[in-house]
Amino acid sequence: MAEGQRTRPADASRFGRDNILIWQVALVAGLLAAWEFFGRFGGGDQVSSPSRIINRIVIWLGGELYPHLFTTLGELSCGMAIGCSLGALVGLVLGRMPIVSIILRPIIVGLYSVPLVTLAPLFIMFFGLGLLPKIVLVSIVTFFLLFFNTFTGAQQVDEDYLRTLDLMGASKFEQFRKVVAPATAVWIVGGIKIALPYALVATITGELLATRSGLGFLISRAAERFDMTSLYAVLLILMALGLLLSETALRLEHRFLRWREAAE
Amino acid sequence: MAPRTAVIGTGRARLPGATGGDQSALERFFSTSAGRIGSRLVLVALILLVWEYAPVPRATRFWMSSPSLILGTLWDWLFDGTIWAHLGSTLLVMSEGYVIGCAAGIGFGFLLGFFPRLSRVLAPLLASFYALPKIALAPLFVILLGVDNSSKVALVAVTVFFLVLTSTIDGVRAVDRNTVNALVLMGATRTEIIRKVLIWAALPWIFTGMRIAVRYAFTTTLLAELIAANRGLGFLIELSSGNFNTTGAYAAIMVVIICSVLLTELLSRLENRMSHWNQKFTPRSAPPSTAIA
Amino acid sequence: MNEMSTARAVAGAAGTPAKIRLLRAEKTFQVRGQDIEALHPTDLDIRPHEFIALVGPSGCGKSTILNMIAGLMRPTAGEVLYDGQAVTGPNRRVGYMTQKDTLLPWRTTKDNIRIALELKSHATPRAEADDRVRQMIELVGLKGFENHTPAELSGGMRKRAAMARTLIYEPETLLMDEPFGALDSQLKLLMLDQLQSLTQHRRMTVVFVTHDLGEAITLSDRIVVLSARPGRIRAIHDVRLERPRDVFKVRFTPAFSEQHERLWDELKDDIIKGTDV
Repeated sequence: MAEGQRTRPADASRFGRDNILIWQVALVAGLLAAWEFFGRFGGGDQVSSPSRIINRIVIWLGGELYPHLFTTLGELSCGMAIGCSLGALVGLVLGRMPIVSIILRPIIVGLYSVPLVTLAPLFIMFFGLGLLPKIVLVSIVTFFLLFFNTFTGAQQVDEDYLRTLDLMGASKFEQFRKVVAPATAVWIVGGIKIALPYALVATITGELLATRSGLGFLISRAAERFDMTSLYAVLLILMALGLLLSETALRLEHRFLRWREAAE
Repeated sequence: MAPRTAVIGTGRARLPGATGGDQSALERFFSTSAGRIGSRLVLVALILLVWEYAPVPRATRFWMSSPSLILGTLWDWLFDGTIWAHLGSTLLVMSEGYVIGCAAGIGFGFLLGFFPRLSRVLAPLLASFYALPKIALAPLFVILLGVDNSSKVALVAVTVFFLVLTSTIDGVRAVDRNTVNALVLMGATRTEIIRKVLIWAALPWIFTGMRIAVRYAFTTTLLAELIAANRGLGFLIELSSGNFNTTGAYAAIMVVIICSVLLTELLSRLENRMSHWNQKFTPRSAPPSTAIA
Repeated sequence: MNEMSTARAVAGAAGTPAKIRLLRAEKTFQVRGQDIEALHPTDLDIRPHEFIALVGPSGCGKSTILNMIAGLMRPTAGEVLYDGQAVTGPNRRVGYMTQKDTLLPWRTTKDNIRIALELKSHATPRAEADDRVRQMIELVGLKGFENHTPAELSGGMRKRAAMARTLIYEPETLLMDEPFGALDSQLKLLMLDQLQSLTQHRRMTVVFVTHDLGEAITLSDRIVVLSARPGRIRAIHDVRLERPRDVFKVRFTPAFSEQHERLWDELKDDIIKGTDV
C-alpha cells in the first residue's frame, strides 16, 4: 500500500474504470508509436514496424493465412479430441479399479512429470513431415493430462451416492453412468482447460521442427528468410489465437460450473 | 451374495471396490507394501522382457530398438563424455534462465503489487503475452541473439519471468490490508512496510511460484534445444531423430526421463521441508499448493 | 429532522474542546458506477479521555467513521478534526485494533509487540525497547510466551498481544472495530476488563465500535446509536454507571438492565429491517 495513496477503495476511481482504459490505450499507442518511429528511422530490418506488420497481416487475411491457420487448428483439435476422449475413458475405467490404481499410481505420476513435448522429434521420425506426428504428439500430451485428472476424479467419487444407488438395485454399469461419470465430468472439464495451452505448445513445437504448413511453419519460414515482419505478424496472430483459446476454455468451464452449482 | 447393509453417511471418498466387508485375497495382497512394489517391479520387468525379446520383423525391430541396445548406447555415452557435455549444457542454460527469470519476476512482481493501478493498466498486455506459447519466440530469439546459449537462456528467462511474476503479485496482493494499516498508523514509511511486512508475507507465494517454475525451466530448455541449438539434451534427441538413430533417440529420452524424475523428487522433498517450516507460522491464507504443475 | 440536533453533543465540560470532531462528515462510495452513501452528513464531538461506543447494524457507517478518524479515508464532504486540525493523512496519534488480530505470523510475540519501536517514527534504543516490551508483556499477562509465534498462541492470547502491540507506542486515542467479536463470552469479559484498566489508567480516548450492546454499556461513557442505509446518528446516550466498573458484575445491576432495554428498543427496528434484507 503506497503511502501517498490512502486506502480509498472505490473512492479512488472517481473516474472509475475510464481512467484505467485511458492509460491502457495511451500505453499501447505510445509503444506502437515508438516502435513505428524506431522501425522507420533506426533499427533497420531487425525491428520492422507496426504499420508493416499490420499490412502483412491484412495481406495474409486475403487468403494466404487460412490454410496455415486451419492446419494448426486442425492438428490441435484432432489431437485434443483423441487425447481427451481416450484419456478420460481410460482414466474413468482405471480410476474405478482399486488394484490397478494402487499399482500404477507411482508409475503414472513419475511419467507425468516427463516433458512429453520433447518426444516431438521421435514422432517426426516415425510419421514423417505431415499432419500425423503433430496430431499424435498433441494426442499423447492431452491423453496424459486428461488421464491424470480423470483418474484422480474417478477415485474421489463420493461413496455415499454410490451406495444409495446400490441399495436401489442399480447395476455397476448404471451406477457408473449415473454417478461416476457426471461427478468426474468436473475433473474432465478441468483437465481440458489445463490441456488446451499445452496442446497449443505441442502443436507449435511440432510445426517448428518439421512441417510444410501451419502457423509454426510460417514462423520457421520467416525466420529462415530473416523476414522479421512476417515473424512478428505470426506471433501476433498466435497471441490472438492463444487468447481466444483460453477465453473459450473459461467459457466452457463456466457453463459446466453453473450446472454444478445449481445441482448443489 | 452378502446382504447389503446401509452404511450411508460416511461420505468420505475411499478407494472403490471394497464393499465395506471382506477383501479378496488379491486385494489384501496388494495392500501390503511388498505386494505393491513387487507387482510394479514385475510389471516393469515384463514390459522390458517383451520389449527385448518379442519376435518382431526386422523393420519393426529397427523402430522399436531394445533395452539392451539402449543401455549399450547410454553406457558408451557415459564414458565418451557425450552425456556430460549435453547434460551440462542443458543444466547451465536452465539455471541461468531460471535465475534471471526469477529475479526479474520477483522484482517486477513487487512493483506491480504495490501499484495496483499500474498492474491493472498492464494486465491485458501481460495476459496477451501469457497466452502466447513461448516456444514460438524461440526462432525470434535465435535471430536476435544467435544459436548459442543466449537465445535459449532468454527463452527460459521469459517463461520463468511470467510464472514468478504472477505468483509474486498474488503474494503481495494477499497481504492483509489491516496489517498494513496498523503499521501505517504507527508511522511506518513505505520502505519499512516493504521490508518488514510485504516481503515476508509474500514469500510463501513467491516460493510456490519458484517451485513451479523449475519444471517449466527444464521443459523450455529442452524445447529450445530441440528447435535450434548445437548442444544440450534436447539437441541430442533432435540429432538422433534426424539421423534416424532410434536407439540414440530413445537413449536421449531416457536421460531426460531420469533427470525429470530426479527433479520432481528433489522438488517434492523441498516442498515437504518447506511446509514443515511453514507449519510453525501457519500463514493466515495459505498459498496454493503445487497441485498439477 | 431533529436527528441532527439530538446528535449534536455538547463539547465536553465547559471550555474543553473536543478531541475529535466530525463536522457534517459524509462518505460516499462508488461501487460499479453507483453511488452508495455509507455515511450521511454527520456531526459528532468526542471528548478527550472519553470512552465512546458506536453501535448499530451493519452498513451504518461505524467502521467508516473510525477509518476517517484514523485518516485512512477522507470524507467525501465535511471535515474530520483531530485536536482541532483536519485529518489529512494517517493519524499517527491513534492506535487501531480490528477484529482480526494482524500479528505478523513470522515474528515471535515479543518481536511483534516491539515492531512499533523499530520504526523510524518511534525509534527507541534497543535496550529501552526491550524493557518496554517486557513491561507490556507483563501488563497483558503474556509472560512466558514471549518467544512463541502467533500460531502457537490461543485466540485470547493473540488479542492481548495485539493490544500490547498497539499500546506500546502510547497512542493517545484508541480506535477499535469489534475487536472482541470472535471471542467466546468468558474471554470477552476478561478482555473487556483488561481494556478498561489499560485505557482508564492511561486516560486514553477510546472510540469503540461494536454490535454488542452489553459490551458498549459496560465500558463506555456515551453510546452513539447509528442506523443504517445511509448511516446516520440516531441518538446519543449517556451511560450512567459509576466508574470504576466491575466488568463481571455490572451486567447484573438494575441500572445496566434499564440502559440496555432503552438502547435495545432503539436498535430493534433497525436490526429487524436489516435482517429482512
